[in-house]
Amino acid sequence: MENNTSNEYVRGTLKTIVLNLLADNGRMYGYEITQQVKERTAGEIVLTFGALYPVLHKLEQEGQLLTESEAVDGRMRKYYTLTTQGAETARTKTNDLERFMEAIRLLLSPPADPSTGLATERG
Amino acid sequence: MKRLTDDRITDFKNYLRESGLGEALLPELLDHLACEAEERLWEGQSLEKVIENLRSEIDPDTLKQLSSDHKDLLAMEDSLNDIVFENRNKLYGAYALRREYSGHVQRATFIGVGIFILLFCLPELYARLNPEPQKDDIVFEVEFSPITIKPEERHLPPPPVEAPPPAPVKTVRDLPPLVLPDEQVLVEHLPPTVEMLENALPGQETVDGTEITEFLVPPTEVTGKGDVVEIKPEPEKEYTYAEQQPEFYGGSEAFGKFLQKNLNYPATAARAGVQGKVFIEFTVGTDGRIERARTIKGIGFGCDEEALRVVNLMPNWKPGKQSGVPVRVRYTLPIAFQLE
Repeated sequence: MENNTSNEYVRGTLKTIVLNLLADNGRMYGYEITQQVKERTAGEIVLTFGALYPVLHKLEQEGQLLTESEAVDGRMRKYYTLTTQGAETARTKTNDLERFMEAIRLLLSPPADPSTGLATERG
Repeated sequence: MKRLTDDRITDFKNYLRESGLGEALLPELLDHLACEAEERLWEGQSLEKVIENLRSEIDPDTLKQLSSDHKDLLAMEDSLNDIVFENRNKLYGAYALRREYSGHVQRATFIGVGIFILLFCLPELYARLNPEPQKDDIVFEVEFSPITIKPEERHLPPPPVEAPPPAPVKTVRDLPPLVLPDEQVLVEHLPPTVEMLENALPGQETVDGTEITEFLVPPTEVTGKGDVVEIKPEPEKEYTYAEQQPEFYGGSEAFGKFLQKNLNYPATAARAGVQGKVFIEFTVGTDGRIERARTIKGIGFGCDEEALRVVNLMPNWKPGKQSGVPVRVRYTLPIAFQLE
């Protein structure tokens, strides 16, 4: 997949992706999230730091995430965890996205056999 | 696992700070970059290569974009704009325009109102700064000159001339009689006789002064309200003009009729064709009588005499009055002689 188009789809689903990952792993930091996404999609989807950090901060502002900072190797590392509200949001968002993908799949897959459908109506 | 030295990390930090990254993002991004670098080092790339690649990936423009995105996203409220643009491309200009719309409107309003007020106030301001003298302004130029004030010399009234003491009046010693022992009684101090007091006043001593012949008569008691003051005409003064001028009884109309009746055109004047006005001066007395009539300007040919005759023939006039008091008024009357 071309990177540009991938980004376009990612932009809409980024929140869902982040929330979902945190729901699975519990406690993560920024770079870890990008690495996880890269590994699990085999490099198909690459989260750029430019897109990821604003979204993380936004979610934190909304009260979906909690943060804690730890000193690691002479630098501060910020860990994110879901709040109860965030967990709730993660569930609904994931469900929504699945339904949406299902719909898209239906939309993109070739129609079963339009001729027969029409034939039965005629017959 | 290879690790970055603290110096390297400080380098990264400085680089990010120089690129204008906000404090909110800096520590996280630093960690991210460090992790990335360590990852690549671990994969076997050389340190220089890694740093070079990262620098090219994370150029200042990208960081700037990140900062602004971050700011926008955090500042974003759930406004209509966000709902409209939720899943649309916000980098396209429309979103920015809409977001800043209210700010623009506010600024425009202030500027507009400011210009409007300025337009209205400018003439007033100008007038205040340059007051122009108007044509119909009344200006007084007052020059001051020093005035020396001299103390006023007081004219003291002359000391009253002491009147010469009145001539001693003839008096006769007449003291109230005292009861004394016989030996102290002086024979010369006998009480005065009636004859002695006839022309003298009783006093302490007997003085040979002027004899008193007049005796003070006590004033008779005034009964009634006193005399009513009558306004008497002033006979002496003769006015040339009075507040109420004397007048022929019946006015100018009656006077005209009187003249018509009594005035005759002298035959000589008529023959010579003389016409004009004769001015007769006379005094109207307080009782309205015509006195001391004389011609002050005539035309001759018997006209003057005729005019004078008619004037003397006139009945009494209504006298002139000054402050309501009838007065004598010197009056000049023109009498016209005119041929028909």
